[in-house]
Amino acid sequence: MAPAFEDPVSVRVLVRALLGWAVATVALSLIVRSVFALDTDADHPRAIVASVWSSGALVGRAVLAHAGDPDAALDAALSSHPGATLVYESAVGEGPVLVRPEAALAMSLVAGRDGLSVTMNGRTEYLTPDDLLVRHGYDTGLHLPSIGLVAGVDVPLALAILADRFGTPARDIVEHARVRRVRFVRSVPGSPPAPVITGDSMTDDDVAAGAFAAARFLARGIDADGRFRYIVDAPTNRTLPGYDWPRHAGATYFLAQAAALSHDADLAWATLRAASQLRDHAIVPCGPSRCVGEGQRVDLGSTALAVIAFVEIARTALDRGYALLVPDLTAFLRGQQRPDGEFMHEYDRGASAPIDVQLLYYSGEATLALSRAHALLADPRDLEAATRGLSYLTGPAWSFFGSRYYFGEEHWTCQAMDDLRDRAPDPRALDFCLRWQEYGRAMQYGPGDAPFDVDGAYGVGALFTPRLTPVASRCEAGIATLEAARRAGKTAAELSPLARQMRRSLALLLRQQFRPGPQHLFADPDAVYGAMPASAVDWQLRIDFAQHAGCALLAWHVSGG
Amino acid sequence: MRQRLPSLVFGIANLLTAAVVAVGVFAALPARWAPVDVAAAVLTALELTSAAGLLSGAAWAANVARVACAAALVLGLLLVTALAVTVGWLSGIYGPVGRGGAIVLALVAALALPYLVVLPALELVWLRPSKTP
Repeated sequence: MAPAFEDPVSVRVLVRALLGWAVATVALSLIVRSVFALDTDADHPRAIVASVWSSGALVGRAVLAHAGDPDAALDAALSSHPGATLVYESAVGEGPVLVRPEAALAMSLVAGRDGLSVTMNGRTEYLTPDDLLVRHGYDTGLHLPSIGLVAGVDVPLALAILADRFGTPARDIVEHARVRRVRFVRSVPGSPPAPVITGDSMTDDDVAAGAFAAARFLARGIDADGRFRYIVDAPTNRTLPGYDWPRHAGATYFLAQAAALSHDADLAWATLRAASQLRDHAIVPCGPSRCVGEGQRVDLGSTALAVIAFVEIARTALDRGYALLVPDLTAFLRGQQRPDGEFMHEYDRGASAPIDVQLLYYSGEATLALSRAHALLADPRDLEAATRGLSYLTGPAWSFFGSRYYFGEEHWTCQAMDDLRDRAPDPRALDFCLRWQEYGRAMQYGPGDAPFDVDGAYGVGALFTPRLTPVASRCEAGIATLEAARRAGKTAAELSPLARQMRRSLALLLRQQFRPGPQHLFADPDAVYGAMPASAVDWQLRIDFAQHAGCALLAWHVSGG
Repeated sequence: MRQRLPSLVFGIANLLTAAVVAVGVFAALPARWAPVDVAAAVLTALELTSAAGLLSGAAWAANVARVACAAALVLGLLLVTALAVTVGWLSGIYGPVGRGGAIVLALVAALALPYLVVLPALELVWLRPSKTP
């Protein structure tokens, strides 16, 4: 008799095992989802964390069972801090949270919405969204520089705040406390929430008000020398270190537009002070011409944006004398152009030679600058250079396998395309810009796509708070594309998706703009009125955030929507 | 001695798996983490060895290939399970992960499943002991 055949891995056993694994995995995932999902009930909050804030500092707190319940500590804080604000953060949902590993805790809180309740030795303390927002506690926890990712709660900061409140080491909280995730909804007693601006409800008055508020925020930050407050920390109103000539020039350009449209003398004065800083301190010899920058090695973008700003100041008659500065600067830009139309983005002043490297944005900026300069001064060399630049940018520069399915963030090219539309129309460039916007539309969030306020923003997932400046810069390019397409004969029906895309993005910018924002968390709310944050939870205010948002809003205002 | 053509096919497939694991972990992942790195290094070494054995027709090839397949299958099942549970966790916290997130996760799963689940399962079936008494 033949021995029995032993088959340790029969097909039937393997298939059954794999099917069992698949079913178990799906079931496990659904269970995990159900365990960590919050059951929220906004009408019946579990607790109300009442805080008294004065000049961005927490000066009193109590946990109330119901809104309006009296509390002696809150009354004392309000009476000892005239002008303080009472704020309710209602706990509308609660669920478990993973305390370890740190990365899991960091990713466990929805930015700007979730906080923690921590119970230890019979005492409960709440870490609310306002506690974290005022300290930049969101979107700073996990850093993955290789892919430019920053996300999650700053866990050491969160634990330090809680440890301070409990008077215990942070380690004790991790090891001994009962930690829960809590969803909060903020309200300010006596202050009804402002109407929510959407793409449908947005009016031209909303748009103009947002643009001019952004301009006034920038103007207030210009010092006696004409320099901006480059980065402002909104909660503390401190000016953070750093400066950048391209962004200075870009902000000056926006101020010039706003000053001309608003006829606001303060804006005009601020524009000219910022421009004089460029004119008197930033223009240096660069070989046979002149450029904007400092040191031996200068970049193309500073000069390009300075030209755009100077042309705007001259065009709007804020000071026509700035036109005299333009030819030397455009000569430098033209000298940086290669025969194929691409630009060399750096220049070695010591060697009097261009450096053929390419950086983000500069070619588009130079193309727009040359186009604007030609519109003002009618030098045919500028038009020829701008035309070649646009042709390169929308042709060979974006021609590679898959280029129909991927686009970057460069937003100056399509503004140059629109600027040139009457003097050197380029149907291929218009087609490029329309395709870019179509790609953006596919990446645009709709309402409810993420737990944040994202309708009109761009991104690929619900885990990361969208940045607002890319929304604004895409709007600048999108509105320019819309204008050029209208003039090229595209019908309203054809352009309706793009127009709606722009309206939703602009409405997002208006919702997120500090007009006034959560004033109770700011040391000086008036100082940051009109500013545009980097995101809903990143409140370091760099000048180009307000500039791009303001330029987009003004472009929409001027185009009549 | 197993048939030459399937040996070549599975040998090349194991070589490809080794490359996918090595590139996926050591080039694509943005940070280093010992549990993942060590598991990936061991699996890469096993897949390379089994590929060498199968392609050269070595006598020890089947035994090493079985070990490599079992390791790949276990790690693949763990990886897909971890991904699925992570999706469940994230969607519990953030709600639906969105179309973009779903596409990214589906792509990761689609990359892992063929190399780390389907291939080792098929190869284990092929590597069953011969029915000859």
